[in-house]
Amino acid sequence: MYTWPHWLPLVVLTPLLGAALTPIVSLRTRHVAPWWALGMMTVTSVAAGMLILRVALEGPFSYLPGGWVRPYGIELRFDEFSASISVICLIGWLAVLYSFRYTEWLREVPKQRIPYYYALLLLNLGGMIGFVVTGDLFNLFVFLEILSLSGYALVAVSGEHIAEMAAFKYLLMGAISSLIVLFSVGILFGITGSLNMADVASRLGDTGSVAPAALALGMLTVGFMVKAALFPVHIWLPDAHSIAPSPISAVLSGLVVKLGILGMLRLYQIYYTSGIIDLFVLNQILVWLGAISIIMGAFFAVFQDDIKLMLAYSTISNIGYIVMGLGLFTNFSIIGGSVHVFNHAIIKATLFFAAGAMIYRTGYRTLSDLRGIGSSMPLTSIAISIGAISIVGIPPTAGFLCKWYIALGAFEANQPFFGFVLIFGALLIFVYYIRMVNAFYFQAPVRQEVVDATEAPASMLYPTLLLAALCLIMGVLGRIPLAFIEPAVQRLLTPLGG
Amino acid sequence: MKKALVAALLIIISIPMLIAVAAMPPHGDADSPVHTHVSARYIEHGEEEAGAENLVTGVLLNYRGLDTAGEVIVIFTALMAAFAVLITHPGRGEESGPTTAALDPEPGTEPESDSKAPPPISPVVSFMVRLLTPFTTLFAIYVILNGHVTPGGGFQGGAILGGMFIALTIVLGEDKVRTLLPRRAAPWMQGAAVFAFVAIGVIGAATTGYFLGYPTDASLHLVRELMMVVIEIGIGLGGAAIFATIFLQMEAE
Repeated sequence: MYTWPHWLPLVVLTPLLGAALTPIVSLRTRHVAPWWALGMMTVTSVAAGMLILRVALEGPFSYLPGGWVRPYGIELRFDEFSASISVICLIGWLAVLYSFRYTEWLREVPKQRIPYYYALLLLNLGGMIGFVVTGDLFNLFVFLEILSLSGYALVAVSGEHIAEMAAFKYLLMGAISSLIVLFSVGILFGITGSLNMADVASRLGDTGSVAPAALALGMLTVGFMVKAALFPVHIWLPDAHSIAPSPISAVLSGLVVKLGILGMLRLYQIYYTSGIIDLFVLNQILVWLGAISIIMGAFFAVFQDDIKLMLAYSTISNIGYIVMGLGLFTNFSIIGGSVHVFNHAIIKATLFFAAGAMIYRTGYRTLSDLRGIGSSMPLTSIAISIGAISIVGIPPTAGFLCKWYIALGAFEANQPFFGFVLIFGALLIFVYYIRMVNAFYFQAPVRQEVVDATEAPASMLYPTLLLAALCLIMGVLGRIPLAFIEPAVQRLLTPLGG
Repeated sequence: MKKALVAALLIIISIPMLIAVAAMPPHGDADSPVHTHVSARYIEHGEEEAGAENLVTGVLLNYRGLDTAGEVIVIFTALMAAFAVLITHPGRGEESGPTTAALDPEPGTEPESDSKAPPPISPVVSFMVRLLTPFTTLFAIYVILNGHVTPGGGFQGGAILGGMFIALTIVLGEDKVRTLLPRRAAPWMQGAAVFAFVAIGVIGAATTGYFLGYPTDASLHLVRELMMVVIEIGIGLGGAAIFATIFLQMEAE
């Protein structure tokens, strides 16, 4: 059953077609839209499950739309890195469920916007899935546009003035980075005459056009890093991620920024196989920028009172970990970085879901207002504490294994300094999450709403608890994604013919 | 000071970019990889393989059909974004469908539009636009249907159609033009391009085993052409509907 070839186009097209149908199914009443979106994500998740089963049993495989052989048509390629659609489907499905009550509650959002909110969410998720499974450079750009464009609109959807400004800032930086990506794809096409990633990788080495290839590499890196919000091109992230509706914050912070990282992994696959450029300089730059991101993101997070802004800065810090892992370019560090793409998505979604539930029930979003919420919303507070422990990287949670591997990578690469940066960053993170836990559990409430608050409705509480449980489970079963990613990293580190 | 810094930074960034671009294969060089690798096959076999006399259409709809499907979804995303950001009728029309606000202004909004009445239109302009409408429509249909033979196709024809729609809105006023996009049919037309692609793609998957696959047998030449024309019509209609709706939505703002 899992060998049915059409699962691959199905997993991309279901959310996208579902989005196009959303305004139609909700013509009569807008209350159909959330159920419709949930149904579409269910079908997508089933298809994703089949694909992951197949890649686990058979290894990477391709699908050729239109039947054109490589490199004449477009190739959809499913490999171990593509298995990250599992976490896209999981968090996407839960975010849709979480939105059921959350969007109804947002006072500023005109109710007629709600079906379009779900359509955009489906487009965003479909664009991400397409980005991850495509094996073609221009197709990659097309999906990047779908997911970026829907992302800008989702930030602005709440209609507050500050949200529109944040979305506009995001739009400006995102549009420029998209242009940079498109320009670089053009350069690669210009020197190789092909757009298929594998074909470009095999032809790039023979072209001898080192300077254009280096320019394309540099510009693609910049473009993807804007999407990933690495220092110093992170400035759009804090506002956009903190002001968006909470389920959207979870999707943007947990998933969308990771697409820049996955794009980077694709880039490494092309350039490292072709061997046209020594990646040492780029790696050194990435390691340093990653290290600065870790410290800077954590440092700013310490001083935030707004809980969602704090989480947004923490995302910058965690992107720093992942990029540092890639930049160290050792077996351990790349595995650690890639697995942190999965795990951070789960952890950050837990945190944003739990924070969203607190804001939903109390209307307050700063730590000083939310004091003492631990006794009125105990389950949500436990979930946010588990998320906090995971993101610091205390065993036995999901965050520990990745950071351990990245630190091992730093020592393996003989650059122990970065191992210490990592530990220092973890300590800073520890400080700000201790602040949060302290405010929730050990300080007296100052707001009547906090005292009166009850647990969030089931459609918000259970997704939060499920993700919190996953934070713990992934810590215990962390070997599974590690073992899964390992062959892909081995292939990445083995140049063509080597 | 800040401007000088920005200028200096731009110059510093542009120097390596210019050097790298100068090292690329010269423009128009027949031996450059662009002309010898993938596109060589398109030019040599494109007409019989892809089934379109216009090679660009062959690449757009057949060789790289999935990209074009993605592009129409990008356009559709722009429409969804416009709706999600621009609809402002807080608290009104609670239980009615979503497109009510977008396409069918409720009676309550009438006084608002009166207060910002459009400036008077010159009778000459009005007459010319109305006179040209049938011809423009005919030309748009020609461009859409002829896309696989001559330059043109759904995107271009749709733009013409959408532009005509916008001109009509300015001349005749919003209400008359809205009757062209009835509330029930509007979302079908806005998504027409996506639906056409998926429908043809699924037919292709059922018959050839590949999504967006076209029959390659010479005797089925007409079927293949028909499938392409369906997609072109879908792109044309969908594009025009989306242009028009975004315009109306922004005007309502």
